[in-house]
Amino acid sequence: MEDYKFLFKVVLVGNAGVGKTCLVRRFTQGLFPPGQGATIGVDFMIKTVEVDGEKVKLQIWDTAGQERFRSITQSYYRSAHALILVYDISCQPTFDCLPDWLREIEEYANNKVLRILVGNKTDREDREIPRHIGDDFAQRNGMYFLETSAKEAENVERLFMEIAVELMEQAKCKELPKYDGSLGPINDKNKAVAVAKVHVLN
Amino acid sequence: MDDDLPTDFQVIVVGTGMVESIVAAACSRIGKNVLHLDSSDHYGGLWASYNFDGLQKFIKEVSEDPKRQEQVYNLSEKWYIEKDVSEEAEENKTDADPAKKIWSQTKFAAEYRKFNIDMTPKLLFSRGPLVELLISSNIARYAEFRCVTRVLTWLDDRLMPVPCSRADVFATDSVSILEKRQLMKMLTAIVGNTEEEMEQEFKDWNDKPFKDYLTHKGLTPNLIHYVLFAIAGGTDKMNCRDGVKESKKFLMSLGRYGNTPFLWPMYGSGELPQCFCRLCAVFGGVYCLNRPIDKVEHKVVDEGKSIVVIESKSKTLNCDHLVIGINECPKEMISPEPTESTDISKAVFVTNASIMPSEKEPLTLLRFPSLDGTDHAVTVLEVGPATGSCPKGLFVVYLITSKVTDAENDLMPYAQRIFDMNADQSETTEKPKCLWSVFYNVRDTSAPVASLVDNVHVCSGPDSGLDFDRAVEQAEQIFKKICPGEEFLPRAPDPEEIVFEDDAAPGPDFERTLEDEEEQKPEE
Repeated sequence: MEDYKFLFKVVLVGNAGVGKTCLVRRFTQGLFPPGQGATIGVDFMIKTVEVDGEKVKLQIWDTAGQERFRSITQSYYRSAHALILVYDISCQPTFDCLPDWLREIEEYANNKVLRILVGNKTDREDREIPRHIGDDFAQRNGMYFLETSAKEAENVERLFMEIAVELMEQAKCKELPKYDGSLGPINDKNKAVAVAKVHVLN
Repeated sequence: MDDDLPTDFQVIVVGTGMVESIVAAACSRIGKNVLHLDSSDHYGGLWASYNFDGLQKFIKEVSEDPKRQEQVYNLSEKWYIEKDVSEEAEENKTDADPAKKIWSQTKFAAEYRKFNIDMTPKLLFSRGPLVELLISSNIARYAEFRCVTRVLTWLDDRLMPVPCSRADVFATDSVSILEKRQLMKMLTAIVGNTEEEMEQEFKDWNDKPFKDYLTHKGLTPNLIHYVLFAIAGGTDKMNCRDGVKESKKFLMSLGRYGNTPFLWPMYGSGELPQCFCRLCAVFGGVYCLNRPIDKVEHKVVDEGKSIVVIESKSKTLNCDHLVIGINECPKEMISPEPTESTDISKAVFVTNASIMPSEKEPLTLLRFPSLDGTDHAVTVLEVGPATGSCPKGLFVVYLITSKVTDAENDLMPYAQRIFDMNADQSETTEKPKCLWSVFYNVRDTSAPVASLVDNVHVCSGPDSGLDFDRAVEQAEQIFKKICPGEEFLPRAPDPEEIVFEDDAAPGPDFERTLEDEEEQKPEE
């Protein structure tokens, strides 16, 4: 048994080029990848953090480029505990697409999934979306909101830590949707048994 | 946005059915440059799962589009409940079980997202080829499963649980001690015997009916029924060779995960092609839904090399190999080999209770022997809310058989045995009430089809088998043709094992000289 008490699945969505992969790699590896193309074969990244003295493992999933032509598989959204919707504050079209993304999330993700809106690239001088516009959108749609810069490592740690804290709290209150605990020992009765690496839910 | 689509690929895959998706993943996994297209806005084609809204769209499409009717026909949808629940009915509800909701069409619509209804529902044998492939390729991490909790059969005009594990055999009341010994001896022999022993045992039986063999072995009629219909999934005419083979498959898959040999994919079988697509994308495959193709052409270019050219949304796409679903493939590219095939009759029901109540939510495979003495058994799969197939309080039930007249005629007699088709939800009856149903026939496109062009590979449509054996087998064959000598879906690394190129300090660029290039050119 690995040394963690909670395991949460966090998935990122948003238009191509908004910096999803950079956010993940900044957080999990502490670096800002200089170019594209090095992510072949990468499914999700893992980082274990500590919340109130307890180990929480975050499994962070990237879109594998399927967002480029709006072709993300539904199964990508299944059993996510948290969902980060990312846009680029210096690129209006990426913000304009948010309602489309929300529709897709509504359709396929669990309705109790923790949703966070992230305006990335605050390091850019050519901002097109004022902070309050993003904030408003998030409030109207029942999402948390944060602006980040993967490049400058601004708010990235905070983003994922807040997710971990919130999910922990939900898990402790048992409010967490019981995805049958397939991703972690949340609820014993519904705990998944990964037998020979096939996830079988009992 | 579509204009960004690159135009040159080693492999283009058209259609996101099971076979196409496995081939796409396998090619991408070993480094081929893959483009994967689908004309519709969702994954899976005829292998898809739909929520209730998506299903309504599918039904509408089938009834309006003649092209769709080539694949799916005789479709009839029926409601057995009111559009809205009257206040009166809501009030009466308190008399009955308060937990039981009175369903209406409006309430279905409100919870449409919670339905995942399969066009091609299938189970996985715990040691079947797909489970083994999911594990060996590491694609298993994209899917979750539930164990089928019981296998039922229809015996003496009622539903009976089939004892399939050793524990079941000894726990059951419906079989006498003597029968238990007989059954165990028989099952142990099928699993435990060596090839030679089997050869010896069955040399005079292979082409004779399995039923005769079981009778010869002195099994009682009840036991014969269990083994023939439920374990071997056969009919009276099943020959001994197939009977033994199927029984062995069933028995070998016991004891791996649950009490039965079967797994059911969470959210339906439609998730499985998507798992393969995800892997393809992770290894660089490009995905584009909503991308119909208008034309496929085979061309020989300068060096005698053969390529396939596709026109799609006024864009020209080139590839060395085209992998294409049978329903997308231009007829003139298919080698005309008439194959005998029987179409499939299917039905889906939504009910308000399980066909056989149990303490824990059941997940059931029911094998229904033919009611009219023909050679067509009916496979019934019942799945509940825990599988992500429907909202709480409901069950989704699939009936599948070979087509004789049409889906409704073929299947209604079976449905009437297990459901109450006159739903008055306030009444309590023994049988679950049918709230909604759809019947349809699917053209059988499961026979392998050859293409007239070497580098066009045609993928079959869904077959009526219980597991995905045939899809996996065909995908592997196509892959071997495209990539001879390459490994079929080697294990994908876990995230922990991946070393990023930019983690290490980059070394100097390799500067290739002109002479090097000359030397590297493969000799023709």
